[in-house]
Amino acid sequence: MRESTIMFFHYITAILIAITGLIHLLANNEPVIGAVIKANPVLYFGNMAVFLAALLYHAFNGVRVILIEMVPDRCWTKWISWAVLIVGIVTYAVGLQVLMVALGFA
Amino acid sequence: MASEEAKEYVLPPEVLEETMRASEELWKPVRKIKFRIYKYNPKKDYAPHWEEHELEVSRGMTVLDALLIIKGEMDHSLGVRYSCRMGLCGSCAMMINGKQMLACQTRVLEAAGNGDVVELRPLDNFPVERDLAADFTSFFEKHKSVKPWIIRNDDIELNNPTGPYKQTVDEYARYYQFTDCIKCGACLSACPTAATDYEYLGPQALAQAYRYMVDTRDDGLDVRIPIVDTEHGCWRCHFAASCSDVCPRGVDPAQGIQLLKRLLIKRKFGYKPHKPAEALPAKVKAEKKE
Amino acid sequence: MEAESEFKEYYAKNMRGISGWFKVRAYTIERWLYAAHRITGILIVLFILAHFYSTGWHPGLWWDALLGVIVTFHTANGIRLILAELGFAVGKPLLIKKPSQRPVSIEGVQRYVVVFALVLFIVLAAIWAYYAIIVQPMMG
Repeated sequence: MRESTIMFFHYITAILIAITGLIHLLANNEPVIGAVIKANPVLYFGNMAVFLAALLYHAFNGVRVILIEMVPDRCWTKWISWAVLIVGIVTYAVGLQVLMVALGFA
Repeated sequence: MASEEAKEYVLPPEVLEETMRASEELWKPVRKIKFRIYKYNPKKDYAPHWEEHELEVSRGMTVLDALLIIKGEMDHSLGVRYSCRMGLCGSCAMMINGKQMLACQTRVLEAAGNGDVVELRPLDNFPVERDLAADFTSFFEKHKSVKPWIIRNDDIELNNPTGPYKQTVDEYARYYQFTDCIKCGACLSACPTAATDYEYLGPQALAQAYRYMVDTRDDGLDVRIPIVDTEHGCWRCHFAASCSDVCPRGVDPAQGIQLLKRLLIKRKFGYKPHKPAEALPAKVKAEKKE
Repeated sequence: MEAESEFKEYYAKNMRGISGWFKVRAYTIERWLYAAHRITGILIVLFILAHFYSTGWHPGLWWDALLGVIVTFHTANGIRLILAELGFAVGKPLLIKKPSQRPVSIEGVQRYVVVFALVLFIVLAAIWAYYAIIVQPMMG
């Protein structure tokens, strides 16, 4: 994948995080709106699934950018990208499972 | 004839006197400034050290003037690179009190401000050649790597031109600003990404890439995209905007890089900024001559 | 001998290293925002790792308000960065320059966008602090 594609998704996920993160915060901190969101488990779970995916992409890509700038060697750059991708996917799988258990989907 | 013309331009004596007085005042020593100069020869020295020289400076004296006085009268071994002394060649960029500036365009008193110390270092993030001179080899390599020349597919027309290429003022305005670059290296030195990432192309090379990519005479957009769109290309710019802040020529490389990113994203969705310009027919030339 | 050559190489290369990211003195406010964006980003990653490890963990009361400052800064400045990096808030290249031209990308629309981002940051941080300090304890 070209660097521009990766960074384009970096911006897209940033906007997604702003929206889904707001819903996540409202659900857990706002007494009135939070009750409405929590009453609808599909909305809550769907929101969490998108939020988690976007957050992990954005966070791990940010870490990757910082690591690439710290270790600019071309050989390391490739390994950093792969390592970050694998760690991100594993974290997402574990996170989804935890969510499904907590919400009673599994 | 010549003497008559000359007579017309002689200033009235009181104006002449005023001018002389102002000029004398500009070069009259006003303050004692201490120069802290970085001394390091990588081939000989184990570590760099600082040398201090005190100098009476006048209002009009630039840092380069002061350095030349120091080199001439106090420390002959001082290594400093300069050429034109008027901000056109970009040889004398250095860290003056912690900021990248051209020594020939910065007055000593302006740099010292209220204090009386001027600290001079070679440019950050460049290998040291000697004392205040930095090694620009990799900088020029990066500049060369973005192919800073007109790329066209019509070789016959390019090598045997029949007329000039068409270009309107608006099309010229898209890239004119970036052509003022003098390659002094201040932008790459100020860039926070370049502080760790030596592979990063840098503001200068990326702004030049943008300059050629939006030039209507050029047809090399897709040739340059794989060069600038890499892990160490334009996406490692996070808009700290220091490159534009220190640029002595108002080139504004930060703007060029952001517009380059916009161009790359647009190219993803199939947008092309221009068709390569056609050459004006030779007839127009002939008609104009008549 | 090895150490000596490394020592020499360090001075000959003259790279500022990671401290160069945070050398904000003498530059414009964008440099401060850049450094702060990076620091807050790293802090948020550390927080979400803890938040995942023991699910739903958050530091509590006043620390929550501090977390709000970090997150809302990253959000507000992120909006500014998306605008700037996609070429919306950096102005157009100049055709005519003054003798000592200041860059358009810093002193043009960008000034207003910076102010907007800072105001947004303060407003969002205040709302977050209100929920963290007043609403959360009431909810139990």
